[in-house]
Amino acid sequence: MTLNRRTFLATGAAATAAMGAPMILNAQPAEYVLGASLPLTGPFATAGQLVAPAFALAQKLFNDEGGIAGTPIKFVTEDSGYVPQNTLANYQRALATEGTALVGYFADSTGAMKLIAPELKGENARLMGSTSFASELANPETHPYQYLSGPTYQDQFDILMQNIKNAGGTKIAIIYSNTEFGRDPLEHGRATAERLGLEIVLEESTKAQGADIPTHVTKLAQSGAEHCILQGYVTGVWPQLIGGARQFGLPVQFHGTFWGMEKLIADRITAEAGPFLAGYQGVMPYRYFYDREDAPRYEQYAALSKVMFAGTPLENYMSTWAIQTMCGLELAMKALRDTAEAGKELTADNVAESLSGIKDWDSGGFFGGPVSMDNNKIGTGRVYEYSPETGLFTPVSDWLST
Amino acid sequence: MINGNLKADYGADERVLNNRNKQLFVYGSMLLLAIFPFVAGDYAMLMACKMGILLIAVVGVNVLTGYTGLVSLGHGAFVAIGAYATVVFSNLFSGLPEGILPLIVIPLAVIVSALVGIIVGLPSLRVKGLYLAVATLAASFIVTFLIEQDLFAPWTGGVNGINTPTANLLGWELDTKREMYVLITVLALTTLLAAQNLFRTRVGRAFIAIRDRDYSAEILGISLLRYKLMSFAISAAYCGLSGALFAYFYARILPEQFELDLSLELVAALIVGGMGRTMGPVFGVFIVMMVPELIKIAMGAATGGSLELARYTGPVQEIVFGLLLVTFLLKEPLGINQITDRILRSANRWPFARG
Repeated sequence: MTLNRRTFLATGAAATAAMGAPMILNAQPAEYVLGASLPLTGPFATAGQLVAPAFALAQKLFNDEGGIAGTPIKFVTEDSGYVPQNTLANYQRALATEGTALVGYFADSTGAMKLIAPELKGENARLMGSTSFASELANPETHPYQYLSGPTYQDQFDILMQNIKNAGGTKIAIIYSNTEFGRDPLEHGRATAERLGLEIVLEESTKAQGADIPTHVTKLAQSGAEHCILQGYVTGVWPQLIGGARQFGLPVQFHGTFWGMEKLIADRITAEAGPFLAGYQGVMPYRYFYDREDAPRYEQYAALSKVMFAGTPLENYMSTWAIQTMCGLELAMKALRDTAEAGKELTADNVAESLSGIKDWDSGGFFGGPVSMDNNKIGTGRVYEYSPETGLFTPVSDWLST
Repeated sequence: MINGNLKADYGADERVLNNRNKQLFVYGSMLLLAIFPFVAGDYAMLMACKMGILLIAVVGVNVLTGYTGLVSLGHGAFVAIGAYATVVFSNLFSGLPEGILPLIVIPLAVIVSALVGIIVGLPSLRVKGLYLAVATLAASFIVTFLIEQDLFAPWTGGVNGINTPTANLLGWELDTKREMYVLITVLALTTLLAAQNLFRTRVGRAFIAIRDRDYSAEILGISLLRYKLMSFAISAAYCGLSGALFAYFYARILPEQFELDLSLELVAALIVGGMGRTMGPVFGVFIVMMVPELIKIAMGAATGGSLELARYTGPVQEIVFGLLLVTFLLKEPLGINQITDRILRSANRWPFARG
């Protein structure tokens, strides 16, 4: 073939088009978007409003570090009212308006995660974290794009029961709210108790709030339990159940899981109803914010909080709920950055692959040491005990992994 | 003087769309609905489908509350029964060819809802007004409670919810929102037309007679037992159909989607749109679904999507929506249908007095 001016130009144009086309097709957005639904209204508005500022902090921090491979990120948060359907609608709205710029989403309940899970297919799939520790979600085969930023409730039960066993306990009671949240680790808990040689002397179901407390306290007294695990409550039953048991003169040791471990709430209840929470223990996957020794990431948060939230209670303390959100966002960012650095497109499949490949991650303070994603969760935590005098939860166990 | 309304024969007088403006409005709307999926974005499709599903349920509430005068705060339960029945029957008949499954499952779901409607309607023979509202509310709690029980969890999924099947009509798999839109729109229009025609029949007129004064209706020979229960059954059947579409539309259903909020949304949509009018539910659903979205967009634009303000804008949106509803009810208690009636009437008489 002779190369004349016309064929040269034609070949050149074709080559340019061939090389340029994929770049046009995969045009990188000016900024990546991470969507989020939060319960800013409704029954969990307190938690949602405490968590909301964390997104502002995360946006500033991540962008100061260069976003995702130099491209800035933006969080788009919306209210869900703690209604799973609203979260689903918010997610679909974000998908429709942001398109491929949307690279991740943060949902606000187990219900929302379960409702959205079957929708995460093909073009509609995105990496999705949440406030949930539901055991069902920690399964990459059925929920490939969803992850937990800590241990499942089942893991938390394992950690609690192991700690009870180590402390010489033999008889335990489980009081749970009659919700999905309350029932989540029950069956697994029974198996763990049997394996560890612990006897479950009482399993009692209550309403999530406003339970008929005297009945439950009487049953607890009759059961002869030395330890009682509360599951499926945010804080609603502490004054009635634990306070009631103390009035009754019961020496039972109470335990809780992540959502029953917030210092701000424990402090408030102590101030309002007295120091009955003394000795209350529970599993916490993360270090508390005031425990910042050798926690460079927490130090960064603290420095930013001082500037961004000056004059508010958030200036010096980050709630456990906000820490959980931050951990979820850190994991998502790590997966996104790893994917971008590997030169791959930020598709849900690629990002999910990066996420499940996170090994020996130094989180900068969240956990006791380097952690790995195993079955889309991080199965570690330790037991803390509350002291009304100091107003602090202090560790009473080593970091336990499942 | 009224012009443009000459009816030269009985046939012309009996038509549903008995003047040119009504025809223009209805055929124009249908044309827009037909064009919509070709031009709308994903989010607009989502909203349209949700509106269609809600519309069918509100038409059901309209039959009972608007036409028969029986107040219900428990219709969310019938939507739940339709949705869960769809999943249960789909799993039960999973051996049948997928293409004909919805043709069997949807009617069955509608029938089950209607039967439950009859049971829930029984107290209506003894109690009226607020008392009936509380009775239906109780029924709704019972239904949700039963769905959540471990005993039924193998079929309903209990508190965890259950994944739903994809609709497949004679081999046409409706696995996108655009495809579901077709099914939802066709069924929504059909139910609207059916409701409109129901009240031109003996049964519908009996309902209206009961609404206007039940004692008089009984004296006229209308069996209250029969017609009140029939009204409950028809109303629940509409909600059951809505529930069946709900199940096909969402990939998973949870019991908490059918609680009191849904029942209240149905009643609110009906009141805003206009009770006892065919187009009332259409306008009501439009307002109940679109106004919060518009407020959300407006608030987002006003605050520039600020994260710091997000904690305030959420509650403010709800307050604004609530205030809008209250203002609306104060200014136009007969609903939007009354406003559109006025507009259509004045268009019909133009250029003469609006009257």
